[in-house]
Amino acid sequence: MLLAVSVLLFVVLRLIPVDPLALSVSPNATVEEIEKIRHEMGFDRPIVAQYWLWLKGALRFDFGRSIYHRESVASLIARTLPASIELAALAILVATVLGLAGGLTLFHVRGTRKEPVLDVASIAILSLPEFLWGLFFILLFGVHWALLPFTGRLSPEYSMPAARTGFLLLDTLLAGRPDMFADAMLHMILPALALGVGFSPAIMRVLRSSLQDVYAEDYIRQARLRGIGEVQILLRHAAKNAILPALTLMGVQFGFLFGGTLLIELIYSYPGMGNMMVEAVRNADLPVIQAVGLVYCIAVLSINGLVDAAYSMLNPKLRPR
Amino acid sequence: MSFKDTRRTLLKGAGAGIATLALGTYGRAALAADKDTVTIAWPSDVPSWDPQQRLVPDAQSIYKAVFDQPLEQNAGMALTPHVAKKWNLSADGKTLELEFRDDVLWHDGSKFTAADFRFGWFERIQRKDAIDLGRVWNEVTDIQVASPTRAVVTMSQAKPTALQWLAFMGNFVVPRDYMEKVGLDGFRAKPIGSGPYRLAEYQLNSRIVLERNDQYWGPKPKVRRVIIEIVKDPSARVAAIQSGKADLALNLPVREVDRLSKTAGLSGEFNPIPRLILMHARNDMGFADENVRLAAHHAIDKQALSKAFYNGKAVPLSMVSTPGTPAFDPGFKFSYDPKLAQSLLAKAGFGPSKPLKIKLATTNGNFPGDFDIARAIAAMWKKVGIDAEVDVIEYAKYFELNRGRKLPEATIYSWDNATGDPEIFTGYLLNPKKPFTPWRGEEEGKRVLALESVVDYKKRVEGYRDFEKYAVEHGATIPLLQSVQTLVRKRDLQYQKYRSGIVYLQSLAWK
Repeated sequence: MLLAVSVLLFVVLRLIPVDPLALSVSPNATVEEIEKIRHEMGFDRPIVAQYWLWLKGALRFDFGRSIYHRESVASLIARTLPASIELAALAILVATVLGLAGGLTLFHVRGTRKEPVLDVASIAILSLPEFLWGLFFILLFGVHWALLPFTGRLSPEYSMPAARTGFLLLDTLLAGRPDMFADAMLHMILPALALGVGFSPAIMRVLRSSLQDVYAEDYIRQARLRGIGEVQILLRHAAKNAILPALTLMGVQFGFLFGGTLLIELIYSYPGMGNMMVEAVRNADLPVIQAVGLVYCIAVLSINGLVDAAYSMLNPKLRPR
Repeated sequence: MSFKDTRRTLLKGAGAGIATLALGTYGRAALAADKDTVTIAWPSDVPSWDPQQRLVPDAQSIYKAVFDQPLEQNAGMALTPHVAKKWNLSADGKTLELEFRDDVLWHDGSKFTAADFRFGWFERIQRKDAIDLGRVWNEVTDIQVASPTRAVVTMSQAKPTALQWLAFMGNFVVPRDYMEKVGLDGFRAKPIGSGPYRLAEYQLNSRIVLERNDQYWGPKPKVRRVIIEIVKDPSARVAAIQSGKADLALNLPVREVDRLSKTAGLSGEFNPIPRLILMHARNDMGFADENVRLAAHHAIDKQALSKAFYNGKAVPLSMVSTPGTPAFDPGFKFSYDPKLAQSLLAKAGFGPSKPLKIKLATTNGNFPGDFDIARAIAAMWKKVGIDAEVDVIEYAKYFELNRGRKLPEATIYSWDNATGDPEIFTGYLLNPKKPFTPWRGEEEGKRVLALESVVDYKKRVEGYRDFEKYAVEHGATIPLLQSVQTLVRKRDLQYQKYRSGIVYLQSLAWK
């Protein structure tokens, strides 16, 4: 799967009509000089030869050098990937909590006057793209109420701790700095919320629909007859079964969520891989685009894998005998 | 109290405690506005901490804070001594003598010498380090280090703009010994310069923290610490300055600058800078006829473009240089005259009832207003009988299209020249040997190439001035506007304004 994605990415990037050297050479480079650089970088070779060279390097985690930064792509990714993983993880948590809580609430208020209001609200939230949420939260929480920071990862008075793991939240704890940890968490709230909130309505609606199906089952009626309260029935009996379709949806959505980090990181000046990818696209920095695209693919596959594992845990029918 | 109640209470308390700690921490940070520190919301990151690597206009202000250059420009754009205190360019433009200061220290305490200059301008180029500086100085055949403070540069051909380049992009002194010791990757990770600030912290695409260099040979900055938040999104930069998180923000949308100017405690500025917005033209296809090109130019209401997209702050141009630069002639005007445009088009056999069909290429978002300007021009042209289809291209694609002769008749373009020197305006923009212009007129090519070897400054500037007028009068280029730099700062934050548009971080000071 990864090989197929890498081939697809490689071919597409080489076929789009953009000269990767256009922004990497100085303004007064002559045509001859540009062709010389093209030859040195291998861009004049057949695509298959270029891909083979790239693949050999990629298997050694050598993705070449960034045309724009002239730095190793692998080192650029190593510096930025942990930040994106932390953000995506928090956003997934936000989306999950909001989605599940919202779904349970939507189901709980079914048949009441609140239902259509919350229904419309969930559709409205779903229809706004995450970057608009990003800008809205900056205006509300960053400017109007001035409650939360909206640029970077730490407040200016803090220096980045020693990168023991590369994950800032872990590194602050390992450095024995709970104040820095709290500050880093504060900086992540708005971008994580912007990313997560857009994905939660779909989870809410699927969970609500799934609960409606589950509530038609006999065991729910029997639970009521046994005198179990509605809240207990909802949380301890129905939710466990109803969550499975929502979990499937989450697996698909969270793959997209990782891709959503691009614009959110840009808006929040968050030093993750998404921010770097946007810059790479602007500069036609093909080696970076290629490698980051592959990393995103791995991320999506990993998230799907984790969701499949969670699904197996929750659904006894899928557990190995 | 049951266990559940205890657990619930405990969880609520813990949550409240963490929130209080966090917000309290953030609140303290927000309140403690340090008058020894300036925070700037900056639109782009540096491509690398090797200042000789890339010729990138947006990074110059940051590089100039950390690294020194052989020469500098004053606020009026005139060349001044800097690390080099004296210089002499020979009459034939092939030999440059430089005498350096002997009190320049690198941030690690070691001394700058002429050997460092030779390293940057010759040795690195010879050993083919991937630096753009190499393309600027590829005519250098040797640099003799006559003494620790004296270097003599010999070149294979005349370089009339050698001095201007020494104060321009990429021309920063780098420490030879340190760079050799740590290697290029090591230098980029932990750079040292000799500038008024040292790099204290760097987070890619996020933050740059500079601390004052108290051993600096020149005037010490008044601000001890400069925090540069890399905020690429313009809305976020507006939010940063409006919320007080930033003390200064650059490159904001024009309408936001107007709005923020009315906010108490903030001051908005529109600073004209030596950045051109122009239209490149071809001399074939739909633009083969000079009458058509001149008609296209006469049909453009530049004042209206400035009003519509720059709140009237962008200066309409008739020359390929900006006011205040040496070759600029304020008396030379190319009129907005739609009637004249129509009569010129009629001579070429076109008009509103038989429009000329061409394409107009533009970027979208490469510089403020690029796409809007193209659409507005297309609408102006429609009235006189030119039917232009606006085609959006990526900036990265421009050079490839140009090399393949695939650019359309007209292309909107932007060009920065902090030196103001006419060679770096017209000498680049209309030079057929350089990748910028699609114009292939023989006469213009001959003239601009001849000017490349004129070393006498006065003759060179006069030559370019005459050539610019000629080029505009024959439709070889269509200058549009002088761009403005938009900037919003806290009212009690001062800085020295430079006509070049560079924000000298070392000039920042609180009132």
